[in-house]
Amino acid sequence: MSEVVIQIEKLSKLYRLGTIGTGSLRQDLQRWWTTTIRKKEDPFFQLDSTTAPNQALWALQDVSFDVRAGEVWGIIGNNGAGKSTLLKVISRIVRPTHGTVRGRGSISSLLEVGTGFQPELTGRENIFLSGYILGMSKAEIRLKFDEIVAFSGIEKFIDTPVKRYSSGMYVRLAFAVAAHLEPDILILDEVLAVGDAEFQKKCLGKMREVSQSAGRTILFVSHSMQAVTNLCDKGVWLQQGKVQTIGAVDTVVNQYLAHAQQFKLKQSWEKPADAPGNNAIRFKEVELVPQLLEPNAPLDIRTPLTVKFQFWNFTEDALISINLVLFSYGGECIFDVPSATRVCQKGLVAGECTIPGNFLNDGSYYISLYVVRDTTTSLFDYEECLAFDLEDYRGDIKWYGKWWGAVRPSFPFRLTQPQTELMLQ
Amino acid sequence: MALSTDRKWDWEIKAQTSWWGSSPQELWSYRHLLIGLVRRDFLLGYQQTILGPLWVLLQPITTMLTYVLVFGKVIGISTGQVPVVLFYLAGVVLWNLFNDSFTGTSSTFRDNAHLFNKVYFPRLIMPFAQLSGFLISFVIQFLFLLLVWAYYLLFTSWHGPSISWLLAIPFAVILLGMQSLGLGLLFSVLTGKYRDVKFVVGLGVRLLMFLTPVIYPVQYVAAKWRWVVELNPLTPLFELFRWALLGQGTVTPGQLLYSTLFTLTLLVAALLIFNKQGDKLIDVA
Repeated sequence: MSEVVIQIEKLSKLYRLGTIGTGSLRQDLQRWWTTTIRKKEDPFFQLDSTTAPNQALWALQDVSFDVRAGEVWGIIGNNGAGKSTLLKVISRIVRPTHGTVRGRGSISSLLEVGTGFQPELTGRENIFLSGYILGMSKAEIRLKFDEIVAFSGIEKFIDTPVKRYSSGMYVRLAFAVAAHLEPDILILDEVLAVGDAEFQKKCLGKMREVSQSAGRTILFVSHSMQAVTNLCDKGVWLQQGKVQTIGAVDTVVNQYLAHAQQFKLKQSWEKPADAPGNNAIRFKEVELVPQLLEPNAPLDIRTPLTVKFQFWNFTEDALISINLVLFSYGGECIFDVPSATRVCQKGLVAGECTIPGNFLNDGSYYISLYVVRDTTTSLFDYEECLAFDLEDYRGDIKWYGKWWGAVRPSFPFRLTQPQTELMLQ
Repeated sequence: MALSTDRKWDWEIKAQTSWWGSSPQELWSYRHLLIGLVRRDFLLGYQQTILGPLWVLLQPITTMLTYVLVFGKVIGISTGQVPVVLFYLAGVVLWNLFNDSFTGTSSTFRDNAHLFNKVYFPRLIMPFAQLSGFLISFVIQFLFLLLVWAYYLLFTSWHGPSISWLLAIPFAVILLGMQSLGLGLLFSVLTGKYRDVKFVVGLGVRLLMFLTPVIYPVQYVAAKWRWVVELNPLTPLFELFRWALLGQGTVTPGQLLYSTLFTLTLLVAALLIFNKQGDKLIDVA
């Protein structure tokens, strides 16, 4: 076993939301007066979980693990699970509230692409400046300068101010600098979520190269399970600041995916009084039923998904239709599918709609249902009633960058090779 | 390779913030960053200006001309034996160094919050880079001042002090630089924490100028009020600077000692507070 290069021991980080310093001198003086001089309670902040549960946030709680030389660690978890905070503490950007991190060797962290870039300066000047900020020496940058420029592919524009670059060029140059860092320990936060597909491929290639060169240790945060499984050998799954599972990457990723799937993709109500809706209609049940290819498999892009719902209709002879609208996690509408209209009597109305497999791209989605009367009047908008994640599935494709596009349909697509006389000669 | 676990750790991150901050070796290893930042500030400062770096000289010249007109001609403050132009130019050049370095470094945390939140390097590099940049501007302005000084010496009837007195100038400049850095570091913590303070800085530095012998010589301050001006630790430095360059200034060794002790205490305290509070401020930024 190789030597431990990072030892993380009982690490905790507390954020007091909006209350370290109330932001104005007057309030802080007042606070100082009441707490220090009059020995009373802080008028602006009580670290008492019963009265002010929203003011304190444990971004990390009792996180401990050891990283050995040459290991590549994937850190996974939902948004807000503490992944980035963990990287920031290890990178010395923020102090932990409790606990210790000890380490051996030099550390470089890349929490953002293009840190320290100055739009007004040229590409050449930015390579040096951003290299210095990331901890490279002048000699080191000089030595790698040509390599960095070649990697970014912007030779022609190297003496142009980067504010005139396209966003793609900007990102390529920024990543190129970072990719040529040679620390003992490299810390990466979701850097692959940028750039075009071609460039992402290059970045992943470069990362693999770096991780396989002797003794390089990498800590890597990503939402792409595919990338984590393929690049990392160890994994940590963080859940609300706590370590959920730790160990071999396959085990950790599988547990995480199985858990993500456990989100009961269903909401139901016994009585109309509690149910979401209004005087015209109230929902009784909404459910997402995946048609899994095998039991306990995670939802992936191949899985057909059926949305089932029931609602109480309180109006006699209503001409009703429903729109099922799918949004990406970022709030972009992917599609808006209307049902057929139907004249409904008072009582329960049920419906279902199937989103075929091999149609959506991987990612997080949510569904809203809009109930419409007479094809024009909106009766009730049930926003974000279902949410789900689709995992990636690539089969034999050995490329791990983020797949482009809002959808990823599988259309008939054939390659042929017409044999011509000329070629045969 | 020995795999013993007793090899010492290279670094350790704990909850307690240190008063001492980065080691000198660590700061030294980031010297290229400092040079890069000075270069950046210089390039950015004069980007898309027609006169470019000429502004380094134009700014003090125009200020000096205004002072000569307003305080010299209109109000008629006496500058003693010293030519009016030399008197004001010397004051303006030295005051600029203090003013720029203090206001520049005092917004360290506010201006760099984004950077500090994404990457680690010794935070002190930022104010050091600011101070270095302003020192370079000062040297250029000072060389210009020497040219004007030489002109008056050679082509007018004015008799300057002996050349050897000039040796006192670096002392005054270094102390002034340290004082502005000390104040700047202290206020950078305050402006990082309290948004109100940035207004105080702008107002305070303008008021401070009138308590400093920039536009008047101490010898002409009414005896009744002189103690106010002499309480200001900047005063002996300005008087020493003018005395060395122009042969006129009211400064005693006691005042210099007071200013030196004040500067050193301020700088050490400011460095400690900057190091201690710096990490906490990142959480707020």
